[in-house]
Amino acid sequence: MSTQAPAPPSPAPGGPAPAGDVPLFYRRGFRRLLQQGLYVAATALLFWYIYDALNLREFGFGFLNDPAAFKVANQWLIDVDGVTSSRIEMYLVGVWASLRVVFVAILLSTVVGIVVGVSRLSSNWLVARMAMLYVEVFRNTPLLVQVVLVYAIFLVGAPIIQEVLNIGDFAFLSNRGLAIPWPVPDAGWWGAPDWFVGVWVALLIAIGAVAMTVRRQRQVRERETGQPHYANRWAFGIFAVGALVTFIVLGLPVSIDRPYVEGTRYLEGMVIRPEFAALTIGLTLYTGAFNAEIVRGSIQALPRGQTEAANAVGLSAYQRMTLVILPQALRQMIPSITNQYLNVNKNSSLAYAVLYDDLFRVAGIIQNKAGHALEMFFVIIVTYMLISLVISALMNFINARVTRVGV
Amino acid sequence: MRLPSLQGRRLVSALLFAGAALVAGAVIGACTSDEDQQQAQAVEQQTQQDQDQPAAQVSGEPRGNTIQLIQDRGTLLCGVKQTQPLFGNRDEDGNVTGFDIEFCKAIAAAVLKDANAVEYVDASDASTRFELLADGQIDILIRTTTITSSRDMELDVDFAQTTFYTGQGFAVRKDSGIDSTSDMANASICVQTGTTTEQNVADHFTDIGLDYEPTGGLSQDVAAAFFEGRCDVLTADASDLASRIVVRDNADDYKILPQIISKEPLAPGVRDYDSDWKDVVNWVVHGLIRAEEIGLTQANVAAMASNPPNTEVARLLGVPFEGGSVSTLGFEVVDAQFIQRAIAAVGNYGEIYDREIGDAIPRDCTLNALARPLPSEAVDCGPGEGGIMYALPYR
Repeated sequence: MSTQAPAPPSPAPGGPAPAGDVPLFYRRGFRRLLQQGLYVAATALLFWYIYDALNLREFGFGFLNDPAAFKVANQWLIDVDGVTSSRIEMYLVGVWASLRVVFVAILLSTVVGIVVGVSRLSSNWLVARMAMLYVEVFRNTPLLVQVVLVYAIFLVGAPIIQEVLNIGDFAFLSNRGLAIPWPVPDAGWWGAPDWFVGVWVALLIAIGAVAMTVRRQRQVRERETGQPHYANRWAFGIFAVGALVTFIVLGLPVSIDRPYVEGTRYLEGMVIRPEFAALTIGLTLYTGAFNAEIVRGSIQALPRGQTEAANAVGLSAYQRMTLVILPQALRQMIPSITNQYLNVNKNSSLAYAVLYDDLFRVAGIIQNKAGHALEMFFVIIVTYMLISLVISALMNFINARVTRVGV
Repeated sequence: MRLPSLQGRRLVSALLFAGAALVAGAVIGACTSDEDQQQAQAVEQQTQQDQDQPAAQVSGEPRGNTIQLIQDRGTLLCGVKQTQPLFGNRDEDGNVTGFDIEFCKAIAAAVLKDANAVEYVDASDASTRFELLADGQIDILIRTTTITSSRDMELDVDFAQTTFYTGQGFAVRKDSGIDSTSDMANASICVQTGTTTEQNVADHFTDIGLDYEPTGGLSQDVAAAFFEGRCDVLTADASDLASRIVVRDNADDYKILPQIISKEPLAPGVRDYDSDWKDVVNWVVHGLIRAEEIGLTQANVAAMASNPPNTEVARLLGVPFEGGSVSTLGFEVVDAQFIQRAIAAVGNYGEIYDREIGDAIPRDCTLNALARPLPSEAVDCGPGEGGIMYALPYR
């Protein structure tokens, strides 16, 4: 375009008749130049404004290397001591906390969405109405309200730690969280000798290859004979059994760590904190309602003939849904579901309301102490964008795979 | 020195523009790179020129006469908290009451001769309180605000005499068996978000070599979580803790540990560069403290004014002593009896404390006690204890 810009009077290639007596303002070339000029000027003004704003303050990210000097609980697989670690490390702890919530909420909301979405179309009056009630309640109330409500229910509803609910000496529930047994490595990574991991991973790859081969063979035979050969089930079974057997054969070097309560603290085991639970459940219920509508819409968008054809060849209701309807509906729903996943990422910032230390709250603590609001918000925005872009990329990959087959 | 409001607006606009510019820049960048570069150079030159000029016009300039403004308006716009019992709280009937409110009344009585000529502006939101002041939406900020060097230097606020000394403390259930932070190994601690709250706890626990499990958030949220038993310990300003506990039905189940791990002097804030206004606020606070030091009360101030026992009382109350002339004390901007009216309106410092806070936060031997109590009211304090409320001399 820039090559066209300096030649205002000449009409654009393929344009209409020569200018002649057309007034300057109505000439296409002049119009284009004017539009581009305004655009450039506006952009330059914006850049100048930002530049000016940044110049008024000390802009830089050096403060992120300073000691954090605060602590964050709810760390999983990591143990960053906030006192000696830097601010950026603590921020990454917050990012990791956000990622865990987003991942779990996306998984659960998908399950909820499919179950409720299919239920809404059930011929069972009660099931369909219950599903509708769920969707209407959770779709039409603010997420903030739901998250705070779930947290309040947890705090008020669950017993206090002094009256902890002992579930068969196996798990414990109080408003300090749910403590469950958890596998713990005895020594080293997963408690194994160093070579264990390598051997096991190599074996897993081998078993995986075997499983995929079996799957392909059974798929081919199914196509040839017309008889069901359950290729996926076979492949998954082979892999699961193989992984478990090799794991046991190699010595099962992981012990199960059972929680117990001492005084007012949970010791050992894995504690699912109420803050994490509230945020994840809130996000799941809210997003699940939207996902359910997407699932329902995608199913209803299929031509009625698909259902009739499935009935005609004598498939059961379950087979009709899993073999005919859902595989086709899935392709349609992926773009809309992607939007919901991105919303989960963004909405996870409501962690603020339930005392969960996600990336936004940790950034807030840093900002409270260090100032540098502009830089901090820049970092926050870039982080959320990166997470969103990764989710988009993964979903686009899946979308490309499922639509490649063609209907 | 810049207006925070200006910074705030710049920040928001800059972020909005940054987003728009990213998109615009990506589109434009491809087709009009030449023009863009020229523009960028022009921008650079322009900014260079800007930098040569003084960055902020505010610095050093008088900021208008707040006292004149208040007297012309006839009401004092007092920015107060409306969500914290004891200090600044709105009750069911819509009345705003509390320790900070009494100082609004005292200042209104001093400047406007009417303790009720106050409009209480809601400054509950901590993040915008200084902007309310800088933008002129309030004349004075009396809202449990800590004096810190960075606020004084960076924001458009000047702090007057401290009205309440507090610090970060810890609240626990009485039956928890916790008597000091050394009993808090691996305790679950609800930490109120603040400018330094998180750091104070982290620093303290590093010093005493213990670990803890924090749950952090806004004041009312963490307090609610604590009272439901989510945490063993709640930490915030001791005055904040007291105000959260005192309104509960089971207030007796909780206690605030005597241990204090930070300095939080709470003071009224006024705009920078308005010395007359700050002076008046300062001397009203000192006057109320002085009144307590010499036994002037709401009840006896009228009698004292008509028959002052000594020259100092006469000066303080702005009345002639044994037929002499009235000393203005140099306060040309308000009349000589401004402290007399303040005392008549709300009583002396001790009376305000007893009425608004009372036993919720015991006063004896804390920093808020008088440094020089009347001999009849002196209390034996332990080593290292004792008040620092000390009025500067009126003469």
